[in-house]
Amino acid sequence: MWNLKQTASHLYRQYELITCINMFEPWEKKLINGFFLIMVVLVIFSSYVYLPSYMETLLEVIKPTTGSSQPSEKAYVPMKISSF
Amino acid sequence: MGNLDDASAGFEQSYVHSNGNGSVKSSTPISNGHIPNHTTFVEQRQKSDEQQQQNGEETEEQLLRLKELKFSAPAYTEIRTRSGGLNFKNAEEGSYHPANGHVEKSGKRSDKFKPSQADGILSAEQEHYQKTSFEDVPLHTACLTYLGFYLLMILGYINQLLFVPKVATEKARDGYVTLYDAFESFYSRYVYRRVRDCWNRPICSVPGDELILKDRVTDDYGWSFRFTGTETRCLNLGSYNYLGFASATGRCADESEQRAREKGLAYCSSRCELGNTQLHIDLERLTARYCGVEDAIVFGMGFATNALNLPALLGPKCLVVSDEKNHASIILGLRLSGATTKVFKHNSMKDLERVLRNGVCYGNPKDGGKPYKKILICVEGIFSMEGSIVRLPEIIALKKKYKAYLYLDEAHSVGSMGPNGRGVVDYFKADPKDVDILMGTFTKSFGSAGGYIAGTKKLIDYLRANSHAHCYAGSISPPIVQQIYTSMSIIMGDDGTNTGRNKIQQLARNTRYFRRRLAQIGVITYGHEDSPVVPMLVYLFSKIGAVIRTLTTRHIAVVGAGFPATPIMEGRIRFCLSAAHTKEQLDYALDVIDDVSENLGLKYSRKPRDPNPIEY
Repeated sequence: MWNLKQTASHLYRQYELITCINMFEPWEKKLINGFFLIMVVLVIFSSYVYLPSYMETLLEVIKPTTGSSQPSEKAYVPMKISSF
Repeated sequence: MGNLDDASAGFEQSYVHSNGNGSVKSSTPISNGHIPNHTTFVEQRQKSDEQQQQNGEETEEQLLRLKELKFSAPAYTEIRTRSGGLNFKNAEEGSYHPANGHVEKSGKRSDKFKPSQADGILSAEQEHYQKTSFEDVPLHTACLTYLGFYLLMILGYINQLLFVPKVATEKARDGYVTLYDAFESFYSRYVYRRVRDCWNRPICSVPGDELILKDRVTDDYGWSFRFTGTETRCLNLGSYNYLGFASATGRCADESEQRAREKGLAYCSSRCELGNTQLHIDLERLTARYCGVEDAIVFGMGFATNALNLPALLGPKCLVVSDEKNHASIILGLRLSGATTKVFKHNSMKDLERVLRNGVCYGNPKDGGKPYKKILICVEGIFSMEGSIVRLPEIIALKKKYKAYLYLDEAHSVGSMGPNGRGVVDYFKADPKDVDILMGTFTKSFGSAGGYIAGTKKLIDYLRANSHAHCYAGSISPPIVQQIYTSMSIIMGDDGTNTGRNKIQQLARNTRYFRRRLAQIGVITYGHEDSPVVPMLVYLFSKIGAVIRTLTTRHIAVVGAGFPATPIMEGRIRFCLSAAHTKEQLDYALDVIDDVSENLGLKYSRKPRDPNPIEY
């Protein structure tokens, strides 16, 4: 547990140094942290919502399972968005 | 004037003699001290030397060889095993003029005195590449550095948009173009201000091996500071006090104090008017003897020595070939002179030759292709930001080939390099007369202030008549002259002791030890194995501040260098070693640096590390 905490603090320090957060004023820190948090949330959200259907269409394009079906109809349509 | 020439020649000879004697006396204990550190190769050489001595061949050559042996570095045998990225088939291939001139001479000499540090076992080029290291930045670090910098800039602009900066603003200037608004002021307000506490820190003691920092805190994120009234004692790794002559006690300090009581603090006049005294003339003679040339001229300010003497030597129809890492004072001097300036890549002889050849072949394009009046190569001895050493033997060969003049700025190297402390000329065992203009400062190794130019009598007389720094600037203050005079005569051994020699020795050992320990820790350092300026690369801008702050809490004072002084990507911490440091102090510093670099992630180096403990 203690080790985990140490690792986490080490990682956070590295993140602070890389993004120069340790140099910023508190409100700037919040801004940058918020920005990165939003980015991470957006990436996670979109990969959960869009990625599966995109992968399906991609597979369809690369390896058409049925010769009769037209991939162009299905392609690039995010399917899940209506069901979400 | 022939009189003066004779006198200087006499001085020179006596210096050479005193060197010989001093070295012979001191060589035995020091070389004995070195033997455990040497590898078998050097030991064998030592044994063979001793045998020859027993045979009764006590010639002067023998004594000279002993002197050479003393300064053979234990570090070298190890360094030579490391390939510096060059694969020459034979030693001759790398050098420029294997068949003529000075290079060949030194090569012949090197067969006689084999285990010396600047000998020609390898060609000058190979030797340079094996001793100098400029490790590449890891790709991800480079990307992260740019990311961090973009963030800093973006936030700076947001900050500037939202808030009025707490700085002095001009009033009643409607319609004027702003006088101070530029990228520099933006940079210093929104980037530099965040880590301003790491620079320009006030101290309240002599900057010797240790110094006392005056503590200060900021309540508004670097806009302003307030003193807490407390003090912190720190180990000083930031001063250019190479030989440890900056101290509040000892002979230098006593004699300077005495001189100030006798002669006052300043003459308030230039050398051409009332400021010229016997003190200054003595100092010039001593400097000339120290450099091994005919004459020298001294100035009260090191920066002005470069900035105001270069315009005296050069005119608009001249070509200057300047190293890209040259100091700002040289660049200012070249701009003032109006000469055509061509820059060559840092320490790259190929590029230097290309630029020289183009200059000679195509002439001056501004003057319809007529040949340049003169061509001057402008280099520094030790480059203070890179920690690298000029490739003097190769530059001298090139200079002779293309009939160019050579201006060597020994600001950092004088005193700190070479077995006699006479700078890179001494280190490479070059003839000082091959360098046309020897410039240096008294600010660093001599623990004082001012600068000098040394060279032929003709050159110095010309400068006395034409140099602005000589005619208009005030002469050096008497206690400062005395400090230079005393420290210089101590280095030369004129005081009859081995103090100067031991200091040079101590600095060389400190340098090698510190650099090798840093390499073992795994941080990236730049430069030459023997340069006492050690830049440690931290790359990210935020890490410069973090390292300096952390080291200050652990009682070590260091200097950081960031973007305006270095390329954006290459933030660095610069350690300057001193003869005043002891092994214990360096060990403490290195342990702390190891700890800090582990914590902050500075161990970028991908080179194999030496698993054995480094011997001092």
